[in-house]
Amino acid sequence: MPSTIWTGTISFGLVAVPVRMVSATRDLDIHFHQVDGRTGERVSTRRISELDAEEVPWNEIGRGYDLDGQTVVLTDDELAAAAPERTHMIEIEEFVDSSEIDPAQFDHPYLLLPGSDSEGVTRAYRLLRDAMAKTGRMAIGRVVLRSNEYLAAVHERDDLLSLSTMLYADEIRDASEVDAIPSSDAWAAKRGEITAAVELIKAMTHDFDPSSYEDRDRKRLLEMIESKRTRKGTSTVAKAPEERGAQAAPDLMAALRESLARTRES
Amino acid sequence: MAPRSIWNGTLAVGEVIIPIKLFSVVQQHRVQFREVRLSDSARIKHQRVNSESGEEVPSAEIRKAYEREDGRQVVLTDDEIAAAYGPRTKVIEIEHFTDAAQIDPIFYERPYMLGAQACGERAYSVLRDALERSGKVGIGRFVLRTREQLVAVAPHGEALRLYTMRFADELVRSADLDLPSMAHEPTAKEIQMAERLIDALAGTWEPESYEDRYRDAVMAVIEQKAAGRTVKAPETKAPQPVPDLLAALTQSVEQRKSRRGGAAPASKAPRKALAKPPAKPSVGSKPKSRTS
Repeated sequence: MPSTIWTGTISFGLVAVPVRMVSATRDLDIHFHQVDGRTGERVSTRRISELDAEEVPWNEIGRGYDLDGQTVVLTDDELAAAAPERTHMIEIEEFVDSSEIDPAQFDHPYLLLPGSDSEGVTRAYRLLRDAMAKTGRMAIGRVVLRSNEYLAAVHERDDLLSLSTMLYADEIRDASEVDAIPSSDAWAAKRGEITAAVELIKAMTHDFDPSSYEDRDRKRLLEMIESKRTRKGTSTVAKAPEERGAQAAPDLMAALRESLARTRES
Repeated sequence: MAPRSIWNGTLAVGEVIIPIKLFSVVQQHRVQFREVRLSDSARIKHQRVNSESGEEVPSAEIRKAYEREDGRQVVLTDDEIAAAYGPRTKVIEIEHFTDAAQIDPIFYERPYMLGAQACGERAYSVLRDALERSGKVGIGRFVLRTREQLVAVAPHGEALRLYTMRFADELVRSADLDLPSMAHEPTAKEIQMAERLIDALAGTWEPESYEDRYRDAVMAVIEQKAAGRTVKAPETKAPQPVPDLLAALTQSVEQRKSRRGGAAPASKAPRKALAKPPAKPSVGSKPKSRTS
């Protein structure tokens, strides 16, 4: 059961729906501790002053910001003054067509759950959920998390309200800033090549089944840890496979045809 | 300044090999602070010490340890971890394609941009145009830094984007949640009115119209403090729940209509210019840094 990281209300118009928010992801990564290799004892981090190497306790640490050569120091309370007033309210500002949103803007996914099991709360929750499911639109609002304000998109997903924090438009690099992107004017693809590529893509297409992919590195690491426990041994160093040359095929059309033929054989 | 690539390698689709470069897409502009001592603004340094003796541990002596359920720990060297991961190549191998519409964006974790290396421009352009025309996305795997990633390669304007993806088991399932019964249905009339309210609040997505107010607010606090003024947090007020849903919905729709001067929801005509986004807003003097 994921823990609640935010409680408040989501409002649209004059309707306020009490909700609580949980992460929509689970951390399945394998985490390590740092240990002293000589003794196996845990390593911890100590915060010391660069001036006199004295240890500095947590409550004596502030946030420094360099402003025109001067270090401005803020306490947590002072930083909190920057947080907008509505720290427990997501106010829907508009509903938009989700296909218009650049997926790169979606940051972290969360779930919004009814704030309590009372009839008033669950009915209001269902109202928003069902109406959004019917229109298929995404609601745009803002949410304050960890004293930081985020843009957020809310939509119905699997019978629940799903919220994704979003990056701002100016945090997404535009393709025009990258020289290495071949412009379609300078590198106009030939009609025959595109047709052959589309054919290859179609031959290699099947349904997206997310559960068919596993995190192979997570599995490999767990297996190694397991084997290290059972046999106090060394892991075998895997042999590197043959590198595929970083050479572009000189004849693109031939490579496309060859690929298509192989895909159809298999 | 043009960004530098973070990874160079090849994108392989069947027998078609495209030499590519990988660029980051996200450039967060959050205000970055550093830790300082409150008394004298001295910078703070992190020192790694043995938790028993308190002695500093040189970085060469630091190992990773995995703690098992029985509390015992398995110490691993970087070589052992590298061996566990197995051979690494510099290839993004596309395993198959899928309809772009089939991928729930919740699977997209982090976006990157692909560029072409010299000699790769033609093949890059062909793949981009073919993906665009077919509405497909390539699914493959490659190793970024140390970890193998599941990735999707999709066209975005002139560029090919690469998204690292979450695995299905990393998403929380409804069964993991302690959900209240939602047997109390809203009435058909309420849903109808809610849909009308959604229509009234419908707009065309203009990402540039949303600015990071928090970034500006933090900068304002920093400047106030620098000028020697006291900084105080504002009082917060709790929103009020409504007893009568239908009345609240109806009133909201009415309010929305009057705010638009009684006009039909045509005030925001769909703009077809979206394909070519307008010039990015200037971030001029804003700090181009991120919070930790």
